[in-house]
Amino acid sequence: MKNSMWNLKLSTSALVLIPAAVGINYIGKLFAGLLKLPLWLDSIGTVLSAMLAGPVVGAICGAINNIIYGLTMDPISFIYALTSIGIGLAVGVLAQKGRVNSIGGAVVVGLVAAVVSTLISTPINIGFWGGQTGNVWGDLVYAGMVAHHFPVWIASLTDEFIVDVPDKIATVIVAYGIYKGLPQKLTILFRHDSVTEQL
Amino acid sequence: MKALSLYQDRGTVVHRVDSRSKLLYILSAILIPAVLPGFMPGLAMLALSILILATGKVFGKVLPLVGFSLLILASIVLIQGLFYSGNKQLLFSLWRFGFYREGLLFSGGICLRVMNILCAVSILVLTTRPSDLIESLVRLGLSPHLGYVLSSVLQIIPQMTATMETITDAQRSRGMETEGTLLVRMKAFLPLIGPVVMNSLVSTRERSLALEVRAFSARSKKTFLNPPQGGTANTVIPLVLLLAMAAAIVWRVMQ
Amino acid sequence: MKKITVSGLKYRYPLTEELALKGLSFEIEKGEFIGIIGQNLSGKSTLCQALMGLVPHFYKGGYGGSVWVDGLEVGKAEIHEIAQKVGLVFQNPFTQVSGSKMTVFEELAFGLENLGVAREDMAPRIEHAMELLGIGRFRDRNPFDLSGGQMQRMAIASVIAMEPEIIVLDEPTSQLDPQGAEDVFQAIEALSRRGMTVIMAEHKIEKIARYSDRVLLLHQGEMVAFDTPQQVFSRDDLERYGVVPPVFAQVCKGMGIRNPATGLYPMTLDEACDQVVNWHE
Ligand SMILES: Nc1ncnc2c1ncn2[C@@H]1O[C@H](COP(=O)(O)OP(=O)(O)OP(=O)(O)O)[C@@H](O)[C@H]1O
Ligand SMILES: [Mg+2]
Repeated sequence: MKNSMWNLKLSTSALVLIPAAVGINYIGKLFAGLLKLPLWLDSIGTVLSAMLAGPVVGAICGAINNIIYGLTMDPISFIYALTSIGIGLAVGVLAQKGRVNSIGGAVVVGLVAAVVSTLISTPINIGFWGGQTGNVWGDLVYAGMVAHHFPVWIASLTDEFIVDVPDKIATVIVAYGIYKGLPQKLTILFRHDSVTEQL
Repeated sequence: MKALSLYQDRGTVVHRVDSRSKLLYILSAILIPAVLPGFMPGLAMLALSILILATGKVFGKVLPLVGFSLLILASIVLIQGLFYSGNKQLLFSLWRFGFYREGLLFSGGICLRVMNILCAVSILVLTTRPSDLIESLVRLGLSPHLGYVLSSVLQIIPQMTATMETITDAQRSRGMETEGTLLVRMKAFLPLIGPVVMNSLVSTRERSLALEVRAFSARSKKTFLNPPQGGTANTVIPLVLLLAMAAAIVWRVMQ
Repeated sequence: MKKITVSGLKYRYPLTEELALKGLSFEIEKGEFIGIIGQNLSGKSTLCQALMGLVPHFYKGGYGGSVWVDGLEVGKAEIHEIAQKVGLVFQNPFTQVSGSKMTVFEELAFGLENLGVAREDMAPRIEHAMELLGIGRFRDRNPFDLSGGQMQRMAIASVIAMEPEIIVLDEPTSQLDPQGAEDVFQAIEALSRRGMTVIMAEHKIEKIARYSDRVLLLHQGEMVAFDTPQQVFSRDDLERYGVVPPVFAQVCKGMGIRNPATGLYPMTLDEACDQVVNWHE
């Protein structure tokens, strides 16, 4: 198990990657807001770290991201750490299986991330906010559906999903673009399977 | 360079209480109202939190924190008041829309719960130095490596934001479009964040090397430069909170 | 007494074909000041990191031969064990800051906390290191608010607080302004005078000529020479290795001024002065 992607003992490189990735999440969110993009783009770093170092690092990165948001900006973020962990795990597993190898692959992985994110967020949205997401477009759909007597969980699932799909696909594409641009001698430091060879 | 933090250095008694007690307080503020029925326990807890915040001289700083959630809470009251599935008893009408008692009560419960958590977390966040919080978490058993990661994030975000500002100015002066149609703005995104993102990833190698040199991966038990926070209050408060939570649960089970 | 013994050291980075170090063997005595020179990509940084065990433990790749430091075999020990014998300082002062501490004092404690040094022992060790590097007055500053030169001296102090017996510096001043660089060089010289074994890779050849007891010349991963600065800089084939000799050696060479006792060119201003005076007499 030592070299598997589920190894819990993280290398120093993997640990140092996490703060950088959380910083990238933050900057993505900041600039999505600045450019008034209709997306959050606040998990680029989590996705990148999962691609580079696997599901465990992706999950920790997601958790720490939300803990820090919770401590410094919006305490409600704490609860959504679960969603971030899910995204990190999903992308990490798919990336280690070699699924993020083209733009097409990135779109598929983005879609999976959106599904995972929706499945985890919806129960939280229902339990905490009565089913809404706080995103204007999503919530309008939610209000319309509830007014037409759809069950809350369907309305809530739809609300979250239509916001998540474009966001997560864009996020994985951006992360893939950055990943492609990194030198191999850097990316190899985050892999789990390297050993020293005797000369 | 300032680290990312909401900490307000006011030097009150609340500030001297250690992070462990404040963490347990958050747990109580969530657990006790969830276990006990009705609005009263939640209201009482909220009142207590506000009292503590006022004693810590940080009550004014709660509003910006709560602001994020206030908008969502307002929309919840609106939507549930109008459309909640259990709506029966019309309370009042605004123009063509009828607000119902059940929906308003339901959303009121949500608001109370959210405010409760927000205020309890605010006590921790506003009156505890982040480095102290992280250190006490490590003392409580959090991996020192994760402790490092947490502290490092608090420093890296302001640094990256500062670099971003420089780059944004440079890109703007080179005629990069940050206004215009959605497509133009989407295209601007990657060139804007790209350089900082790359740079932060590339410097992880050197930072890892530097940490290794400082025995970061040593397995011996880590020590601390600062002595642990002591004092009777810091043993009494956790005890009281644990007892209160236990009492609430026992009462609930007995019902 | 031998502090460092390197024999047949070979190393290849992952994903590469060519060896970055092609079988180096040499020994270093306690208290020596060793300069490592060579053109870009000749393997200076790789050698520095091999003395500390980052090569091969951090990068992996292919490794052969052995490095013994103070009775510890680097290839078989762990980096944190070696860190108590060897301190390593890098080029970029900014990326050497741990990035998790709020003051210079705490930054210096970082390595000690990791090693599990008792709290009572920390303060004296930190005070001593700060004093040696002249950064005591910045103790309560945020590490990132220091200038490049001050930050680099903090990096050295952070390593010194861990009480290694050998300090390795990889171009410690290449990213500093002239004043910052001068301060750092003086600090290093002071450490050397106190008996510490110092190994420094550096492009600034005058500094190497002035401080080094011996100079190790690398070229494409091979050791070309390991001798006194006078011997190394008097070689006629330096140009082939991309090394420009110190300016005084060049001038004296041009004028044919040699030290009559050794037949070598002078390296420093003082030495050159002596010879010029003798030459005129
Ligand atoms: N992380 C790495 N991965 C792969 N190859 C590397 C890596 N670091 C260095 N090399 C290669 O190893 C060789 C020696 O490089 P090294 O950095 O040791 O040279 P140097 O003498 O320190 O150069 P400089 O004067 O530019 O600092 C070069 O061919 C370089 O390309
Ligand atoms: Mg180098």
